[in-house]
Order: sequence, then structure tokens, then C-alpha cells
Amino acid sequence: MLKKLKEQYANENKQFTLITKAGLVLESDQAIFNIPANSSIFEFHPFFESLPTEHMGKEELNFFCIHLTLKDEIYIVDIKVIPKEEGLLLIFYDLTSHYNTYQSITQTRNESVIKTELTVIKNKELVERERFKNRFIQNFSHELRNPLTSIMAILGLLCDTKLTYEQEKMLDFLKESNTNLRLMLEDTLSIGMIDAGKLNIRNSVFDLHKLIELLDFTYKAKAKAKGLNFECSWDDKLPKYLEGDRLRLFQVVTNILDNALKYTKNGGINFSVVLNQKRANLVNIRFEVADTGLGIAKENQNKIFESFNQVQSNEIRKGVGLGLTIAKKLLELMGSSIKMESTLGEGSRFYFDINIPYILFPKSISNTKSKSKDKNSKQLEKKYKILLVEDDAYVQTTLFKVLLKTNRFKINLVYDGSLVFQEVVNNNYDLILMDVNLPNISGNQITKLIRDFPFKNVKNVPIVGITANALQKDIDQYLEAGMQKVLIKPFENEELLQTIFTLLK
Amino acid sequence: MLKSKKIVVLGHFGVGKTSLIRRFVTNTFSDNYKVTIGVHITKKVIEISAEDKVSLILWDLEGTDDIVSIRNSYLLGTHGAIFVFDVSRPSTFQQLSSDLAILNEKLPKVPLMIVGNKADLVSEVEVKALFEKYALKVDFLTSAKTGKTVNELFLNLALLLTADA
Ligand SMILES: Nc1nc2c(ncn2[C@@H]2O[C@H](COP(=O)(O)OP(=O)(O)OP(=O)(O)O)[C@@H](O)[C@H]2O)c(=O)[nH]1
Ligand SMILES: [Mg+2]
Repeated sequence: MLKKLKEQYANENKQFTLITKAGLVLESDQAIFNIPANSSIFEFHPFFESLPTEHMGKEELNFFCIHLTLKDEIYIVDIKVIPKEEGLLLIFYDLTSHYNTYQSITQTRNESVIKTELTVIKNKELVERERFKNRFIQNFSHELRNPLTSIMAILGLLCDTKLTYEQEKMLDFLKESNTNLRLMLEDTLSIGMIDAGKLNIRNSVFDLHKLIELLDFTYKAKAKAKGLNFECSWDDKLPKYLEGDRLRLFQVVTNILDNALKYTKNGGINFSVVLNQKRANLVNIRFEVADTGLGIAKENQNKIFESFNQVQSNEIRKGVGLGLTIAKKLLELMGSSIKMESTLGEGSRFYFDINIPYILFPKSISNTKSKSKDKNSKQLEKKYKILLVEDDAYVQTTLFKVLLKTNRFKINLVYDGSLVFQEVVNNNYDLILMDVNLPNISGNQITKLIRDFPFKNVKNVPIVGITANALQKDIDQYLEAGMQKVLIKPFENEELLQTIFTLLK
Repeated sequence: MLKSKKIVVLGHFGVGKTSLIRRFVTNTFSDNYKVTIGVHITKKVIEISAEDKVSLILWDLEGTDDIVSIRNSYLLGTHGAIFVFDVSRPSTFQQLSSDLAILNEKLPKVPLMIVGNKADLVSEVEVKALFEKYALKVDFLTSAKTGKTVNELFLNLALLLTADA
């Protein structure tokens, strides 16, 4: 009994077939599939047609996981081929269900490996594209600076010529557009710099009360011009002196205020500064700007802080500058974050809380400004000798004209770095105005050379750098090389003159 | 006379070996990926000339990321080989030269075609850049999806094999 059963199960899933070397089927037990005797095994499946008969000596061969499709049924089998006197003995092992399990495991594994690889590739592409785009925008903005500087300088000059009323109006318009363009350019570059981690926060002691008064004064005027109300309120418990980055804080608040002005047609703007908390040497202050403007729908509230980096299809972003984006990013640099509440049609409230160290008695917040002003106006009667070093012909002529117009300067001009040194040694200049990127030798190097010179009249001549390069680390380098001041293109004529007069003491 | 030639198709998994054979044999294509395990064997008889036909026995092998692990029994009696990689996935051709060296050992003197498949997924410019970057030498750029140069690939190999004999 057991013998019979054993035979039955031992033979399950196993088929024995005997063929001649020429492929004629001699005998087959048909345990799995039917291979008729006296037929050609080659007809049965192409596998047999490619059996390597030349390798068939006495050795047996094993083939694993062979798919045999017979009458729409798939068998996955291992095949043993054993040379015998009569020809070849084929033993088939039907392992279909075993191999199907293996298949589904492999399927899962392969799919996930491929998916991962493709995701990595795609992400890399996205990052690369994003980087390319940002670099492009940065370079492009950078390139715009030179022509814009010329336009602004020439506009300044044009305004001082005889003009009809209409021409004056047109010029005003041009000037304003140009200023907007310049501001946009600066915003774009700022964002690029913040993103690239190149913008540093510089803390120093400043007078908070004065800062608020300045904002109050400036925005009262701006609001009035638009027929709006401007209310400024602040806690009198606020400390006077803080140690923080005044410039960046100012930038954040003005960006928020400008945004409020832009979107308020009726009513007004409330600006308040409140002391939240005071600890040993740290205060937490809330700055808040509330307007009665358009308001922003809930679903759009996050998007208004996005820069051109993100896809924007929303109406609301039309014409919005980059101000809020910058405010948000700057606040992040200062460890704070901008928040907003808004109701469509009623208005918005922007605010942030910021921790800043405060100081009770500052060592020196000097008040020398008014003094030096008097001094300047007296001394400015005499004519100063200025050397202008600039290779760009447009910038050259426009700067030249701006300086000449004041009637305070005698100006010499060189366009090549290598000519500067000789010029400086042979003339007693009161100031050098120098482009940093010059042919042959950089303004930076020239400055170092001049500062190393043994004679005082040469060694100490004030040098003002001009550059289209707004990277802080580069500017620091120029200052380190010995420039007194670096002007970033494009700049206003007044800024230039102011800088020069301040240095000519 | 009808000659039989065994051709093995190998390469990393998912590069389109099964798809290339399916395109050649039945002129169809599917976007679904069904992993091949072990080997599928199909046959296609093609006419070389008016009186000369050849029966191509195509061995569609399980894809591996390691050529060494291919079972030697599958390669016995091979007349020609096709190594396929996927032009859209660098991992399938990054070690091409070492893969080919191993193949050369396993299949000495067997004619081999190197095929970059899925050509429809990348632009010609990108392909060129890839080939330069990885110093790839490729016999055919194919697409099982569009059918591009699939027949040419198999016919060329068939001609090569019958001329040899
Ligand atoms: N776009 C495109 N997709 C292809 C092409 N060839 C194959 N595919 C797709 O790629 C996937 C894998 O194709 P297969 O032919 O199964 O790949 P394989 O090399 O046989 O894979 P394994 O059997 O696992 O080694 C499938 O989803 C196919 O649809 C092609 O030329 N173009
Ligand atoms: Mg396959």
C-alpha cells in the first residue's frame, strides 16, 4: 500500500521522456504534459531546437526555470538532460507555483529599485534646473546694473537742463520708472544672496526710538500723498538702544509698510511697535502693520510670500513685488518669522515678534554728523582733484559729467588699471574714484599698491570703489584692500556726491 | 536549408529585453513591466535570401544587475548575443565595459551586439552627451516602444551569424 502511494507522490510533478539524439520521442510518461511518442521534440518547443547537442557527452545538464507555453498553459520547469545509450533522457520538474512566488518577489524588488533610480534622476534634474534658473536670473540682474547706472546718471543731468513743462513731466515719469526698475533689481539680487547664504546679519548698537520716528515721518508723508491715514504707536517702555541689524530690520518693516500702502485704496495704515517681554538683556518686540486694504483670500495667504521661484497662476500676485518675500527671508535670518491675518475686502495685518538684545548705556553713539556738515560746507569752496578710473565708456562719460557739474572738481580720467599708479604718483589727488573690475590689473590690487606706498600724500588718498558686484564678501575684500567706501551700481548721483564730500575733509 | 541559431538577450533588469523580442516577433509593445524570471524562449524564422532561411531561437534571460550571476547552462551553445541597456538609466550602463569583459569570458568568440534601448525617452543630443561622458560604443540605438531599428538589430545579427557558418 505505502509503496504504491510513495510511487504516486514521488512521481508527482516529475516527467520522464526519452528521445534520440536526432530529437525523435521514444517514450514519455506524460506525468505533466503530453509529448506524443514518435513525434519530433523540436515541434514540442523551441527550447529543444537549441539544445547544445555538441556539448552532450556523458555529462548531465541542468536547466533551471524554463518557461514552456503549451496550449495557452504556462509551465515553469527545471529540465535535467542525461545522456543515455538510447539517446537522451529528459526529466522535467514542474515548479510553476514555486517560481511564480519567486516572480512576484522579484517583480516587487525590481520595480522599487527602478522607481528609486528614476526618482533620484528626476530630483537631480529639478535641482539642476532650479540652480540654472537662479543663476541666470542673478547674472541677468547683474548685467543690467551698468546700463542702468548710465541711464540714471544721464537722467540726473538731463533734469538740470532747460526743459519745457511737458518734458519735465516726462522726465519725472522716466525717473520714477527707473527707480522702480532699480529697486526690483536690488530685490532680485537680495533674494539670490539670501538663498545662496551670502547675506550676513551685522549687529551693532542702534537707536530704536530714532528708527521708529524715521519710519513714522517717512510713511506719514507717503500715506498723505496717497490720501491715506497713517498712525504710528509705540510703547514708551521700549528700550532706546538695541543691538541688532538696523539696516535689515528697517528693510523688513519698510517692505511690509510699502506693501500695505500699495494695496490700500481707502482708510489707512496702523503701524505699532509693542514690547512683549523684557528679560535680563533681551527684549521681545512685536512690529505690526495693519491696513484697510484689499485683503487676501485664505487660500492665497501662503502664496504671497513666495518669490518667482514658485509657480504662480494666481491673480493676486500680479504686480506684487518681491518685498514680502524678502521680509520673510530676512526675518528668518534674524530668527523670527512673519505672520499674517487677513479678511478679503477688509484688510490685512502683518506682524512679527523678534528677540533683540538691548543696551542700557551705549559706549558711543556719537553725534558728529552735524559738526562735520558745517566743516564740509566751509571747505568745499576749494576745487578738488579727482582721478576717475573706469573702462566702461558710458559710465565714464556720465560720471565725468555728474562730477563736473558741481563745479567743485578737477577731474582726470584713466581707463586702464596699469596707468593708475603712475598717474597717482605724479599728481596730488584728493580722491580716487575707481571701478573695481579693470583691464590688466584689478582695482583691488591697485588699492593695495597705493596703500603700501611710502609717501603719505599718495598712501592716504581716499579711494571710492565702484562695482556691479553686490556680494558682501567681495565688498568686504575691497574695503580690506583699503578702499574707504564701495558704491554698488546702479547708484544715484546724490549718493555718489555725498560719499565724495564726506571723504574730502 | 533551415539553420537554427541560438541568440541570448541579456542585460540589467527592466531595460527592455522582453519588449525588444516581442516587438521583433509579434510587432507589439506593452507599457506594463512583467519581470522575466529564468528564461523565455521564442522562435522566429526569417528569410535571409530567396532560398535561405534561418530559425532564430531567442533566449530572453532574466535581468540581473550582475552579469557574473547568469547561469552558465543558459549560455551553452549560444551562436550570438545581444547586450541591452537602458539609455534613460545610467545604472544599466555605468559598468558597461566590465560587463562586456565578463561576457567575453563567458561567451568567447560569440558575436555580440550592444544595444541602447528606450531611445524614445531621451533626445539625440542627450544621447550623444551620454555616449561621450561614459565612452559608450553602441551598435544599435533602439526603441521597443516605437519599433525604431529593432528589426535591423535582429536582421543584422542573423546575417552575421549565417555569414559565419
Ligand atoms: N519608453 C520605452 N519603454 C520601454 C521600451 N522598452 C521597454 N520599455 C518598458 O520598460 C519596462 C521593462 O521592459 P521589459 O521588456 O520587461 O524589460 P526586461 O529587460 O525584459 O526586464 P527583465 O525581464 O526584468 O530583465 C516595461 O515597462 C516596458 O514597457 C522602450 O523602447 N521605450
Ligand atoms: Mg524580461
